[in-house]
Amino acid sequence: MLNLDELFVTRKWVGKPVRRDQDIRFIRGEATYVDDLEMECGHVAFLRSIYAHARIKRIDTSKAAALSGVLAVVTGEDVARETRPIVPRAITRPATQYVMAVEKVRYVGEPLVAVVAEDRYLAEDALELIDVEYEPLRPLVEIEDALREDAPLIFEEAGSNELLHEKLEHGNIEAAYREADLFVKERFRLHRYSSTPLENWAIIAKHEKGDDAFVVWANDQQPGRSTTNVCNMLGIPNSGLRLIVPDSGGGFGIKLAIWPYIVILCLLARRTDRAVKWVQTRREHLLAGTHAPDARVEIELALRRDGRILGLSIKDIQNDGSFIHTAGIYGLIKFATMVGCYDIGATRAELVSVVTNKGPTVQNRGVGKPTMIFVLERMVDIAARRVGLDPAEMRFRNFVQPGQMPYSTPSGEIYESGNYPECLRKALSLSGYEEFRKRKEEMREQGRYLGIGMSASIEPGTSNLGYYYTHRGLPEYMGNAEGAIVGVDYDGNVNVLLGSVDEGQGHATTTAQVVADMLGIDPGRVSMSTHLDSLISPFLGHSGCYSNKFNDVDLGAVIMATKKVRDKMLRIASHALGVEAGELTFRNGEICWAKDERRSIAFKEIATVAYKKILLLPEGMEPGLKEIAYYKNPAAKPPSKANFNVQLTHSNSVHMATVEVDVDTGAVTIVKYVIVHDCGTQINPGIVEGMAIGSTVHGIGAVLYEEFVYDENGQLLSTSFMDYLKPLAVGLPRFEVAHVESPCPTTLLGTKAVGEGGAIGSLAALANAVEDALAPFGVKVTSLPITPEKVVRAVRETGEI
Amino acid sequence: MIPKRFEYFCPTSLQEAISLLGTYGEEAKLLAGGQSLLSLLKLRVADPKYLIDLGRIAELAYIREPGACDAAARTDGPEGEIAIGALTTYAAIKGSRLLQGRCPLLPQTAAVVGDVQVRNRGTLGGSLAHADPAGDMPAAVLALRAELKAVGPSGERWIRAEEFFLGTFATALRPDEILTEIRVPVLKAEKAVYLKAARRPSDFALVGVAVCLKLGRDQACEEVAIGVTGVTEKPYRATGVEGRLRGRRLEPKAIEDAASAITLGVEVSESIHASQGYRSHLARVYASRALQAAR
Amino acid sequence: MHRIAVRINGKAYGHEVEPRLLLVHYIREKARLTGTHVGCDTGNCGACTTLLNGQPVKSCLMLAVQANGAELTTIEGLAGNGLHQIQEAFLDKFAVQCGYCTPGMILSAYALLKANPKPEEGEIREAIEGNLCMCTGYQQIVDAIGHAARTMRMSGSR
Repeated sequence: MLNLDELFVTRKWVGKPVRRDQDIRFIRGEATYVDDLEMECGHVAFLRSIYAHARIKRIDTSKAAALSGVLAVVTGEDVARETRPIVPRAITRPATQYVMAVEKVRYVGEPLVAVVAEDRYLAEDALELIDVEYEPLRPLVEIEDALREDAPLIFEEAGSNELLHEKLEHGNIEAAYREADLFVKERFRLHRYSSTPLENWAIIAKHEKGDDAFVVWANDQQPGRSTTNVCNMLGIPNSGLRLIVPDSGGGFGIKLAIWPYIVILCLLARRTDRAVKWVQTRREHLLAGTHAPDARVEIELALRRDGRILGLSIKDIQNDGSFIHTAGIYGLIKFATMVGCYDIGATRAELVSVVTNKGPTVQNRGVGKPTMIFVLERMVDIAARRVGLDPAEMRFRNFVQPGQMPYSTPSGEIYESGNYPECLRKALSLSGYEEFRKRKEEMREQGRYLGIGMSASIEPGTSNLGYYYTHRGLPEYMGNAEGAIVGVDYDGNVNVLLGSVDEGQGHATTTAQVVADMLGIDPGRVSMSTHLDSLISPFLGHSGCYSNKFNDVDLGAVIMATKKVRDKMLRIASHALGVEAGELTFRNGEICWAKDERRSIAFKEIATVAYKKILLLPEGMEPGLKEIAYYKNPAAKPPSKANFNVQLTHSNSVHMATVEVDVDTGAVTIVKYVIVHDCGTQINPGIVEGMAIGSTVHGIGAVLYEEFVYDENGQLLSTSFMDYLKPLAVGLPRFEVAHVESPCPTTLLGTKAVGEGGAIGSLAALANAVEDALAPFGVKVTSLPITPEKVVRAVRETGEI
Repeated sequence: MIPKRFEYFCPTSLQEAISLLGTYGEEAKLLAGGQSLLSLLKLRVADPKYLIDLGRIAELAYIREPGACDAAARTDGPEGEIAIGALTTYAAIKGSRLLQGRCPLLPQTAAVVGDVQVRNRGTLGGSLAHADPAGDMPAAVLALRAELKAVGPSGERWIRAEEFFLGTFATALRPDEILTEIRVPVLKAEKAVYLKAARRPSDFALVGVAVCLKLGRDQACEEVAIGVTGVTEKPYRATGVEGRLRGRRLEPKAIEDAASAITLGVEVSESIHASQGYRSHLARVYASRALQAAR
Repeated sequence: MHRIAVRINGKAYGHEVEPRLLLVHYIREKARLTGTHVGCDTGNCGACTTLLNGQPVKSCLMLAVQANGAELTTIEGLAGNGLHQIQEAFLDKFAVQCGYCTPGMILSAYALLKANPKPEEGEIREAIEGNLCMCTGYQQIVDAIGHAARTMRMSGSR
């Protein structure tokens, strides 16, 4: 972390809830999302598999191709001839998959045929004219189906439906088990859900014939990786693809998997010699977009009688569906939070990625960490009951203490800062924990069932890419970094370009706050286009908006580039004013002599010298006033199985939920919700608060409403927002958000992850609260979601949710 | 998510609409507010060749209380009723002072249909004629023992609410008939309530129970009508419950007993949001709660 | 094809359209007003919310021909060149993240505050029940609408 008093010339903006005036276009309806771009396009629609698992016997597209207004009809076979297969990241068994179905379909909704027509109405009409003959195969829907001995193989070449199976031990787990007095063990089942950005995926692709190059507009979340993948799959040089990301209506990880469709759109553009556009429908998004995988997790804690946790074993089986690119990641990323906020000396993990005929999975908000924290924080409650401790006391006894920072977990994850006990103390006080426990008893006498539940969680940020490699040598990506260009314009205002994209986080305002304080100007004088252009924007393989990396490496790059510009401005000013650079200060858009502020030069004049009156530049100085910098997180280490070091910053939070359960209908009402969050230095508390609450509502949705339900044939039954239930404004509590601030020593500003925390911590807090409310019935929560029906059944029959 | 092609008509009078319907019959579909139909068209679940948009027939949107010497008053109708044009929106029903004062069950029910935007477009007639087995309004008109006016080429006829709903998306309307008006009684001594169980407030009912209850001396049930939605393939009158209540004092035990008959004789439906067992249970709980609330 | 004429944000538009053309596509593609968004297929998300003769409706659950002769207001027509007080409030209270739901939210809020200048929190939540926001968890939107109601009352505007 830098000395902020040295870094900033003013302290007016960083840390304040500065309005997002940079994003005023959203308020006016003047944003440009991909579908808003005015362009003559052919429109693409996909025919998708109606079977979960089947051989494709025959596809007859002749009638569709003959329909007036249809420009092209392309099958998976056609696409496979012109592309390379998808390269998987984490799995260790071979599996060949193309961007469209070839020979076989592996999930309902897998794209079989792409149609391009003059408009989307005609394209959908044409789909109805395509005839497909399938030979249905046995669908493997649940993990148990895929692991049965007689199960057919979804990828024959893999020789198994387990595409990754790792057993890893860290610390002395044997000793921990020897020393333990008792063990608690439980099995959990987690369902499929997704954070479903409100804007679906959208792509426009154009083929520039003369250069044999593609220009693509897509709401892609990780353009750094996508450009590489698309070029590799199409077998074109990097110069053959220019990717532009305009405004994007939310991401949450779900837009990390757009690139296979970019590949298809490029081929369609080349074939039709037209710009082609595809805007995913919500049905397609839910059916064949991406989900968080469902999972079965067995977890065991080895405890001392006094409640200290000595060791943790986990067997984690992910139903990764049928997208081999990201399969396995949900398992391995669990090392980022395997021991949560606790000082646990040893872990044993068995991680299994199972392929099934469910839809694709990708890194949904939190990626596996919601699952890990859910099972761990459920276990802490269960263990507390077992040793006779209050759940809060159980946590206090096991927390990593502030004095232990930086703390290394058994697998090598470094928690660089944090005050976990303080967060819990604050949450207990804000939620009125003690008083509530009394009130709860009174209410019970009236036949009302209230409960309170807590969870303490780690919210990691900045992926150390490559953590998912366990066997195949060093990965293609390592560490994490971003690039930025900062320039002073002719008029003395500042302009920033970033290699990342904005999914709604307000990067432009946050960046403007930092730059404003670094240069002593108003943030209104700092403009930043959040639209990315791979041809122009500073770019790395890591570029993109994911894993809470923005306030670490993205801002790091902005700061380093701003420093370079600032140094150059000082040198120009020193030369112009005839004063030593060390005696100059920044003041309201000018650089002046500290000893006599009347001797000053405005940014605009400095820019004039840099760009126009270049003969007035100091001897040997290059003209221009624009600097590029790349910044990488300094704490990252190359991946190894002994030292997973999955993520590079570690925020934490405590969630405290108070619920009332109607035991007759099963309805769960959240009556109070407290979030105590520590994300280190806050740059814009207004934005931080929005993300803390917003991410929490993702978790609440996952626990109480949302579920992708498949039938035994692998048909998805929740394919619209009529059945896939998102939380509404009605039915949510008011959230109380409080902060503890433990600056991160390894980021420049002391910032840490913001944005995923609520999606991680809320699951267990709610589940623990429901279990507490239903304690008189002895109900145990071992699965998600907590639907009213499951509650009623648990209360009346099974005792288990 | 684009409707198939269809031919479109927008008649401006009822007569014109009936004549179009006569011409295109079963290949035609009537469009009222479209809040259900449009989704079905977009999903291509419904693909009529002809779409007859009733939205321009201004004469079908009204709420009025026909006076004794009003030509619209039916000579054979019960005393004191309110006439609602089929194209009256949920929002208009929700906001109607007349209904709030004289038949509050209807605005109370309309208020929990969908969300603001849906209530601004969706119509009472559209809801009833669409006959979604989980629609809210059918439960209310059943409990109110409403009468529904169907107009066809050979004139008009009145259909009692309990004879109107025949099955999922199926009604007693003939292919050449249009539902034009709904008559509900003015509630005097009766108390009425609609309660709905739904995953989220604006969702279709997993179970919806509308109760109209008249208590006599000693809190004994003099008259009761219960409309149920969401439970089976069609909205229905819970006559089993009604029978157990009539003449009895509505003590919790009596209500509980009666409520247990709510699914008597019906095949309870199942969906991803409620199994048969849970839905039956919810129906009992909601019947009992609605009766408690109406008491 | 059917000839339709509508006024959007006070400006007259006339087009020959296929009867199956959805109103939202008419607004976006014929009138080229792209502040009205599409977020789902089934009328659940409210991103396409438009004022039809002053009342919020979902323009994806309407055919363009149904709007023939109507007066429509989209987000672009709410405040001319400046910002409406609701728009100011959305900025002040951080009610915008990705912006995709924002136009629909603001129009729903506008209709609410016209009918009910002093809404309770519960009434605000009910008024935007038909508008999904995936980013904010709604709290800052609810606060913004409450804040707008106050500033509008203070300035006497509607």
